[in-house]
Amino acid sequence: MSHTHSPAKQIDHMSASAKGYDAVVVGSGVSGSIIANELSQKGFSVLVLEAGPGTGMTIREYEADLTRFYGAASKDNNAAYAVNPNAPMPRSTQTRKLQPGQPNDSGYLVQNGPVEIDSTYARVIGGTTRHFEAKALRMLPEDFDMRTRYGQGLDWPLDYQTLEPYYQKAECEMGVSADVEDQGYLGIAFEPDYVYPMRKIPVSYLDQAVAKRLQGATVTLEGEAYPLTVRSTPQARNGIPNPRYNKGKGFVPTGAVDPHQAEMGGRCQGNNNCVPICPVQAKYDARRTLAKAIGTGHVDLLPQTVASRVLVDSTSGRVTGIEYKTYKNLTSSEYTTGTVRGKVFVLAANAVENARLMLASDLPSSSGLVGRNLMDHAYLLTWALMPEVVGTMRGTPCTSGIEDLRGGGFRRKQAAFRASIHNDGWGWATAAPYTDLLNLVDDQNKFGRALQRGLVDRISRQLLLDFMVEMPASESNRVTVDPRYRDQLGNPRPVISYGVSDYVLEGVAFARRTSRRIYQRLGAEDHSAYDPLEAGWVSYEGQGYIIRGGNHWAGTHVMGTSAKNSVVDSHQRCWDHENLYLAGAGSMPTIGTSNTTLTLSALSFRSGEHIARELKAV
Amino acid sequence: MSLTRITSVAELHRHLHAALQLEHATIPPYLTALYSILPGTNGEAYRVIRAVVVEEMLHLTLAANILNAVGGTPDLTPPDFVPEYPAYLPDGETDFQVDLQRFSKAAIETFLRIERPAHAEAAGKPRVVKRKKPARGALRASRVADDSDEHFYSIGEFYADISHGLAALQDALGAKTLFCGDAARQVTPDYYYSGGGEIIPVTDLASAQAAIRLISEQGEGIGGGIFDFEDEISHYYRFQQLTLGRFYLKGDKPGHPTGGSVDVDWNAVYPLTTNARLADFAKGSELRAAAADFNAYYKRFLELLTRAYAGQPQLLIEAVGEMFRIKEMACHLMRNPMEGRGKEHAAPTFEMASVAVEV
Repeated sequence: MSHTHSPAKQIDHMSASAKGYDAVVVGSGVSGSIIANELSQKGFSVLVLEAGPGTGMTIREYEADLTRFYGAASKDNNAAYAVNPNAPMPRSTQTRKLQPGQPNDSGYLVQNGPVEIDSTYARVIGGTTRHFEAKALRMLPEDFDMRTRYGQGLDWPLDYQTLEPYYQKAECEMGVSADVEDQGYLGIAFEPDYVYPMRKIPVSYLDQAVAKRLQGATVTLEGEAYPLTVRSTPQARNGIPNPRYNKGKGFVPTGAVDPHQAEMGGRCQGNNNCVPICPVQAKYDARRTLAKAIGTGHVDLLPQTVASRVLVDSTSGRVTGIEYKTYKNLTSSEYTTGTVRGKVFVLAANAVENARLMLASDLPSSSGLVGRNLMDHAYLLTWALMPEVVGTMRGTPCTSGIEDLRGGGFRRKQAAFRASIHNDGWGWATAAPYTDLLNLVDDQNKFGRALQRGLVDRISRQLLLDFMVEMPASESNRVTVDPRYRDQLGNPRPVISYGVSDYVLEGVAFARRTSRRIYQRLGAEDHSAYDPLEAGWVSYEGQGYIIRGGNHWAGTHVMGTSAKNSVVDSHQRCWDHENLYLAGAGSMPTIGTSNTTLTLSALSFRSGEHIARELKAV
Repeated sequence: MSLTRITSVAELHRHLHAALQLEHATIPPYLTALYSILPGTNGEAYRVIRAVVVEEMLHLTLAANILNAVGGTPDLTPPDFVPEYPAYLPDGETDFQVDLQRFSKAAIETFLRIERPAHAEAAGKPRVVKRKKPARGALRASRVADDSDEHFYSIGEFYADISHGLAALQDALGAKTLFCGDAARQVTPDYYYSGGGEIIPVTDLASAQAAIRLISEQGEGIGGGIFDFEDEISHYYRFQQLTLGRFYLKGDKPGHPTGGSVDVDWNAVYPLTTNARLADFAKGSELRAAAADFNAYYKRFLELLTRAYAGQPQLLIEAVGEMFRIKEMACHLMRNPMEGRGKEHAAPTFEMASVAVEV
């Protein structure tokens, strides 16, 4: 079950810089790994630059990360990785309530507001898939023409049908577990006879309890009734392979990454800490794809190397090389500068870092859109106690959700959303179960049996619904760079301006009303509370809410139909630089109500195919 | 001369029941060594033993599928199903002792012996030998017949005989008569999936022989090679990596692995008492109660597996949760020193017979 690969041959920067490559890929996350794999499988030579340390391609190194996570006092998304001042990562713990006119520059991100965002990403091998939750929802067909259809956000230059075959590739690569019967709603269409690689992850007891009581429940919006159907959620973690997959050929799951066979990474065991790290490697992350790419023998991996500048020939606009800073280790700021060369260059460093690197290279694009249209999802958390024990804290964080409000005519006036039922209790909102334990012991002096009963009563009844509210593109939300803010290597840090529009807040308010209705129907005690002194607090029509980030950074190099309205074309190629591709969620003009990884993976397959064609033509 | 000693369906059933007992008999010693490793240490060793024990569970289930296919009913609950340890396994002309013991050089030596390829023909020996019966702890596995002192030379010969027997009985009785089992009893990938080879539902001679091939080759490789027909490293060479301190890569020669290093700390282990027995625990102690609880739980677990193999394969999903509990209960014992045993710690005793009687 382990995914064996030849021992990761890590090249030194001198050799890499002396060699010419067919393609240079910046970032070993899911976009970079898929493109590197697609190209290397066809025999093209690829160099992958990774800003983070070169560890993580063995079980031993992975388990060192796991141990770090277990020992960390704060279990935030990047708790499993060593602090690295040479390639710093945003951490949710660095988010602070902003004072008007005073940016928060205490973390890696410099936050200008007006709304503080607590989203993060990881700068390690495998990128942010290392800590993603692995929900793998397709976008709705209507998400691709939001502007035309609803007058909001931006249209994609391609439609659902065009992307559909690449969704299939992404679902295969990531190993998605889902039942196709549950997923064909709001126009999501599958090829006839399509099944997902693996059967759905079993839904939790909590999901079943919620589903039973919500049967027949509806909410009304603009005179139209929307059902509240509880559906299983597709996820990129190992379940039971579906023998009907691939015309009856079945599916062989991949597991833990290591040069040696280890029988690790089998079926999900429901450990509940997929975010930030799966203890048994049942969850997909991009290292699996990178391992395959390395296995071709055509890929060199150059870690501990931060791309610092994209070099462009001023007459042709073609990229001639990438300047990098390679550092000695995590504890020293000592570094060496060099340049790597290739025929094609791919920036796959995520939406924030791609924009940061382009802007640091004085490449705002002729449209001026690099860094603009920054998007994420606006998460509203609501939480309640169920009337009876429902076995909270078992299973993956979420196994079911409510999808009916992802699409509809109401999107002309207010943002759509989907809701997830959380098996991990109130953790996201209140840091349960740790806070519950502290409260029972310190404040209520409970011990022995009474403490045991208290914990069961408090924790096993917890229900948290997260409402993932869509956020259409808006040019004022953006990433910029500012020479005043630099990291230890002298690279400019991302400066974030982020606000939440009334369109989104209308959706947030409706989500809150929907949650009240759901809790009434469930007979649950609503405990949701939003503190105006906390980061992310917004007020709308007299009500206050806390908006949380979803780590779904997107939109900073949107794709479109021309060099005027976009940074890249539908193959993620820069209009201004014909041998430069900007890959990832940064290319997405609209993200609707889907977690971005599955869709950006589909885009990576499509770009990989395109780049291979281009390289053949050279 | 007939290649097989199996001449009737009843004899075939007897051998397959013995195969179930044999496959299971390696699990308590492997689990004892595995769980004795101090948490957070000996990662490579832990994963090597774990990989093997997971495959032994696969073999157990494959043996159940074969038995079900030929109309038998697997039963993991007879009083002598779990042998008394030290148990004795056949190896050439002698039986050798298998202890329930902590992770140690001695334990790995025993594991190597369990998994070592031994073929009568290659050794220039007869396929069936007379062997002195040990006083207790002997497995039925290699005995040619209940009332005989004759044994198969090795486990490999034992499985070869089942394979030949299946073919001979099909010739004699026809496929329909031999493979008369209820297909609904087969454990399929829907209910079983782990690493190291897929579960094979058995419905005919070809699938039965594929299952046998998987069982024998996962243990000892192809003709004693490092890798099996699925390119998977065999148990023998997996264990050898621990004594040689290095992982095998494809293309390596036996005895000369060239992969990454395997660092073993033989001291990072709970100092378990060897072959613990309930009688060794102080009467009335909490630890004794915990050891008895473990046995009772394990017995119920074997009953659950028996039901799963007898037509309710969906129970295997539930059984996965129970396995976590087995680990938790075993580790609970192992963390505690035993009264009157100096520095030695407690360990599960796997005495199923004691369950009804105690405490």
